[in-house]
Amino acid sequence: LPALSRRYVLCEVVSEDPRCRQCIEDRALGLAVKDAIARVHGDYGLACCSISFAVKYLNAYTGTVLLRCRKDSYRLLCSALPFVRYLESRAQRYPCFLNTLHVGGTIRTCQKFLIQYNRTQLLRLLQNCTNEEERQCVQKSLLSCSLTEEQAQSEDEEEDDGTE
Amino acid sequence: RRELPDGGARPNAAQFKQLVVTALRDLHGEVGAALPVDVLTYEEKTLSAILRVISSGLVKLWSALTLLGFYQNRRCAFRVLQTSPFLLALSGNSRELVLD
Repeated sequence: LPALSRRYVLCEVVSEDPRCRQCIEDRALGLAVKDAIARVHGDYGLACCSISFAVKYLNAYTGTVLLRCRKDSYRLLCSALPFVRYLESRAQRYPCFLNTLHVGGTIRTCQKFLIQYNRTQLLRLLQNCTNEEERQCVQKSLLSCSLTEEQAQSEDEEEDDGTE
Repeated sequence: RRELPDGGARPNAAQFKQLVVTALRDLHGEVGAALPVDVLTYEEKTLSAILRVISSGLVKLWSALTLLGFYQNRRCAFRVLQTSPFLLALSGNSRELVLD
């Protein structure tokens, strides 16, 4: 019996417009990605990737998105992601782009990567802090998330995201 | 060679190439439309042509032409008579040989 293998693509939505964060929702994002696949790879590509396509996880605060697709067509999906140029919701278009962070075989590997990535991002945010108040907030988040790692060996469900 | 049965105005060579590229774009998107396809010969009378494509692109080209159904709102069909890696082999078609 051939196993049903899937690939999970982790990406982040980057936008200069702060209103873009509001329309990070599964339907709008799914439509935008499918539209990009249809443009780049045509009817065949769209059908291929849509077989097991789903938006599994969304985080509007950090702009993190987890997409699922078949193992046979993840290359089509990944090559079409740079062609997503805007998100549309409520008849409004917000320009943005998608950064692919990680491709994994299971949700768990993507989650592990995301926890690690968020830690490094917090550190980077700390370095780029402009005023003291932000610095305090970020430091508090950092300390709380590194303490949790020492307390419990199993992975956390929540990652501490730096407040914007 | 491809054969394209039709009812009205016949496409010229440039329109034929446009038709092929459009078929590729419909089925395989921008990636398909960017596939380098050359029309080596084209006969407007018989509507047959010899196309050249890189061997890795044969499947995309053939599938796109098979699924192309319309030319200027008229039904049409592509029929592949022969494919070969050598141009010289296209001069004789073993399918047209008749048993005496």
